[in-house]
Amino acid sequence: MEKTPPPEKRLPFFLIAVISVLLILSFISLYQAVETYKRTGSPDFMTVVLSLSAITLSSYMFLQMRRKPLKLGFEMPKVFTLIQCSSCDFKNIRDFEKGDYILKATGACPKCSGSSFISSIYREVEEKEE
Amino acid sequence: MSLLPSSVEQIVGQQGDLTGFLVQITWLGFFVLYMFYGQRLQVKIMLREIEGYLFRLKLIRDQGRSIAISSIKEIGKPTDDPTVRVDRILEHVDIPPVDLDPSGIIRRLEHIIDVREFRFKDEVRLMVPGADETQINNLANVLEVALDLNQIYKFVRHLYLMGKKTSSFYVILQLQMILPQVMKESEAFASALRASTLGQPIGDGVGALVAARLMYGREERMISQDVVVGEVPIEGRMAYVLKAKGPGGNVGKPGEAVRQILEEREGKIERIIVIDAAQKWEGEKAGEVIEGTGVAIGGPGVDKYKVEEIATKYKVPINAILIKESIADIVSTMRKEVLNSVEDVLVRIRRIVLETTKEGDHIIIAGIGNTMGIAQ
Repeated sequence: MEKTPPPEKRLPFFLIAVISVLLILSFISLYQAVETYKRTGSPDFMTVVLSLSAITLSSYMFLQMRRKPLKLGFEMPKVFTLIQCSSCDFKNIRDFEKGDYILKATGACPKCSGSSFISSIYREVEEKEE
Repeated sequence: MSLLPSSVEQIVGQQGDLTGFLVQITWLGFFVLYMFYGQRLQVKIMLREIEGYLFRLKLIRDQGRSIAISSIKEIGKPTDDPTVRVDRILEHVDIPPVDLDPSGIIRRLEHIIDVREFRFKDEVRLMVPGADETQINNLANVLEVALDLNQIYKFVRHLYLMGKKTSSFYVILQLQMILPQVMKESEAFASALRASTLGQPIGDGVGALVAARLMYGREERMISQDVVVGEVPIEGRMAYVLKAKGPGGNVGKPGEAVRQILEEREGKIERIIVIDAAQKWEGEKAGEVIEGTGVAIGGPGVDKYKVEEIATKYKVPINAILIKESIADIVSTMRKEVLNSVEDVLVRIRRIVLETTKEGDHIIIAGIGNTMGIAQ
């Protein structure tokens, strides 16, 4: 099957503009606080804290907006095939292969030479998906 | 002497705090602006959010379409480009029968469903002439899912454009309310598409899997369209176990199969047990097994009606065993928890058989669901 590249997130230009303005204002404010301290010798802690917080927040929002692939549901989960022997207790789990189906005969059992078959095909789900 | 008029001076305050005055004026301005344009602003924000969803739905729809086309190309290696035919199928609509006169509506509905199914499979045969029955069924499923994705996208786009055109807060609000659920369903269909292209068993097939486990190693015969039945002795009783014919994606006509068995035996069936997947509620665990009374067959209702009709005619009690799954689990590759529930279902079947029938009785066990990736 053709492999299509995963689509990317659209960039929210309005949000980028807002965050950019916030970032610029924060830097100006920080610069002014430094300048005031140089002139007067008394530090304005409130302005410094607010500016730094705004810079951190804007940077975080920029990082969150990075162009990363959108999850649309087409991602292939890990699927396993369980092969069992109908005569002995032989069991073998392998990755799913195209053409596998439940109750498909898979030839002789490597343990007892009886007939083996696919008894189940399943995917495992991580709990965070819940 | 103050340059401000006396009324303004009152507002500003005795100290002439101009900054405070400006802040108050700005607040007042915002308040008035919000009072008149607040809803319009909210509509704009909501439309922007819906646009984001719509963009994702379009991506899902387009990717679904390209998967369908590439699957057909891969299996059939057609000389002609199947794109035009696939696009035509994706625009297919079903017109339900008229319900002004409900008499015989089930029969008419069944006819429409049959014609539709036949047409879909015929289209696949024309595109992929060398495909076997399993591949045809799986590709028909792929096209069905791609069609559903297209319909969802077009429906949401219709509501979005209508809301945008009319600037109706209520149209947009309703759309915004249903969108999270719509997205969830679309993503579930997207994963169903992947499972269908590979022929993997899906969560909906758990009923068919239970039947397959019971039938394993027994002789089976076709009883109705795409349904096989096997005679399986359970605790001294004879069970007619039926499921859709696999391993291609198929649901068959289990209602017709149950009707035929009952007619063949002139109603001498002591119990019908129906096993099917059921949508779980939030908070319930996937693979949880519950029991009930009645016919557990989903879909448009034709098969459910047939079983109810014939069971009522012969007064046969019906038990249902349901395996709980989310909508996403029902249409995507079977998860381990659901697979593990099969053993529990088999234990419950034996218990019901022992408790409600006696030795020598005949029962029907119907494993309902799409049997993709499950043989018999």
